Amino acid sequence: MPARIMKWIDHRFPLTNFVKHELTGYPTPRNLSYWWNFGFLAGFVLVLQIATGIFLAMHYKADIALSFDSIQHIMRDVNYGWLLRYMHATGASAFFFVIFVHMARTLYYGSYRAPRELLWWTGQGLLLLLMATAFMGYLLPWGQMSFWGATVITNLFRATPFFGDQVVVWLRGDYTVGDATLTRFFALHYLFPFIICAAVVIHLVALHTVKSSNPSGIDLAAKDNIPFHPYFTAKDLYGLGWFLIIYCIFVFFLPDSLIEPANNIPANPMQTPNHIVPEWYFLPFYAILRSVPDLVGGVLAMGLSVMMFAFMPILDRSRIPGGAHYRPFYRWQFFLFIIDMLVLGYVGYTPPTDSTLLLGQVATLCYFGSFFIIPFVSRMEERWLIKRGLPPAVIELMAGEAAAIERHKQSHEQRKGARL
Amino acid sequence: MSKLLIALLLCATPLAYAHETALTKVAVQTDLPTMERGADTLMNNCHSCHSLKYIKYRDLMKLGISKQKVDGWRGELGLDTPLLAQMSESDALQSFGTAPPDLSLMTKARDGGPDYVYSYLLGYYLNASGVPGNHIFPETKMPDPLGVSGTSDPAQLNSIKDQARDIVSFLNWAADPQQSARLRLGYYVIGYLLLLTFLLYLVKNQIWSRLD
Ligand code: HEC
Repeated sequence: MPARIMKWIDHRFPLTNFVKHELTGYPTPRNLSYWWNFGFLAGFVLVLQIATGIFLAMHYKADIALSFDSIQHIMRDVNYGWLLRYMHATGASAFFFVIFVHMARTLYYGSYRAPRELLWWTGQGLLLLLMATAFMGYLLPWGQMSFWGATVITNLFRATPFFGDQVVVWLRGDYTVGDATLTRFFALHYLFPFIICAAVVIHLVALHTVKSSNPSGIDLAAKDNIPFHPYFTAKDLYGLGWFLIIYCIFVFFLPDSLIEPANNIPANPMQTPNHIVPEWYFLPFYAILRSVPDLVGGVLAMGLSVMMFAFMPILDRSRIPGGAHYRPFYRWQFFLFIIDMLVLGYVGYTPPTDSTLLLGQVATLCYFGSFFIIPFVSRMEERWLIKRGLPPAVIELMAGEAAAIERHKQSHEQRKGARL
Repeated sequence: MSKLLIALLLCATPLAYAHETALTKVAVQTDLPTMERGADTLMNNCHSCHSLKYIKYRDLMKLGISKQKVDGWRGELGLDTPLLAQMSESDALQSFGTAPPDLSLMTKARDGGPDYVYSYLLGYYLNASGVPGNHIFPETKMPDPLGVSGTSDPAQLNSIKDQARDIVSFLNWAADPQQSARLRLGYYVIGYLLLLTFLLYLVKNQIWSRLD
């Protein structure tokens, strides 16, 4: 009976074929390390956020007179409402954590290089959507930090040339962040995750066209591919176990470590908190904003700092195959960049003083500098590596691949010859 | 790489934030007698000015405080009435120039949490000219509610410290009444996940061994 149903469907819709090609049989390099788990984890967190978010929306009230109370209603009166809320709030941090690791992996192994530029750029689009969604979601509890964070960030749009002030009013729906802002942020916060889902589909279509890269950074011939199922379903599920353990430690034992104390005070437009900080995942970019003394300059620098990743396929001029593993200079650059991000995060977190301002400016220069020197360093590194000789491992890999491709061609010719 | 990323997560949490004045650490209690004493002191010393609007009288009974006690506090009020301040906000504004904040979320609403509230309550002192001040919140408008500033007798000071600890423990419950349920469920969830992850590890190894 099930076979007959499947036949009926397949006659009208390519279900079996789709599952075989895109899910179970999707050819995957067998040498993928655990760093390749994070794409799947990001998809998992997206589903988790949508699921908890929909249930939260059933109890939440988007009205400045009621929203703070409605969160407390969820925390205290709704059955397992505290669980939903802490899962959702922690989930936002988990989402960024997973995405940052996913991006760091791409940068380290050079997975953004040809032919994966479009894959990387769709990912960049996803990052922007995620940031917008998180930013709007943060207003919804209507705490002090929600209100002042939204005020500071919407105010940045004053930097728009000619009609900056009008843009700010247009975004807020009012002269200050108020009820109109809250209701539109809620509406968009509910909408954006579904746009993200659509963007994820595009990201996956791109992935399935160019296929996954792998830790060697060299495109392996088909001989080293194994079907996604059961090998990577099993590996992803095992990784998911570890992810859930860490996530649940935060949800059950440290949920408030990710919520600013000031956000447990209802929003008060008459009283500025003495120190406005964004969520941890925005801190490096916030530090860059604050490091530029001029508003327009700061906004441009912050916007550019998020967008810099998109230039990587163009900036990286090295034709040496392989990721940072085979590229000593690039590897150093990568780790220094991570350290620079941490320094920026620290600067964004602490109240501004003369010394942190200076530190932030130096770190901002290093941030952009590390992108701008990539074309020169990668060229130089290429020449250096060629003169010195490629690492034996790379040569071996490439020779192996070339041979495999040759063999593949020959057997193809033979088959063609046999048919003729 | 993983270490660096974990460090990024940790250094970004509020844990890294230090208060300017050193706070005194308080050992927050969760046992019923402490809760009851804390509630009692709070009803007598703080409730006149402060509300606990997210707590209803029924919640106090759910916590385990006797009906008799709760009835004594609520008088004519229904069980589902929130604990609103006895003083109206406009009266308070007139007397202090600022409205006393609601205390339901107080232990979560300040850097330092329970330690902050504890240190603040005990932070009152009299300066050389006999004017009261507070080490933690120098410009506070709240008059010394537990009378620490006028006390020099060590035994009495100790009993005030105990009172402050009881109040803070009670406020800590009020800020998150589901905390004990959360921790209890948390141990089960983590235990279950450890087992599940171990089994998934075995499954993964089993499947991957086919490739060798
Ligand atoms: C006579 C009225 C009155 C009484 C009684 C009173 N308070 Fe207050 N309380 C205030 C006022 C007024 C403020 C606002 C202080 C300010 O912002 O300057 C306040 C503020 C506070 C704060 C917040 C401090 C901050 O960081 O903003 C806490 C905590 C607090 N009270 C706890 C208590 C506790 C606990 C008691 C009982 C032991 C108590 N209060 C009794 C009037 C009172």
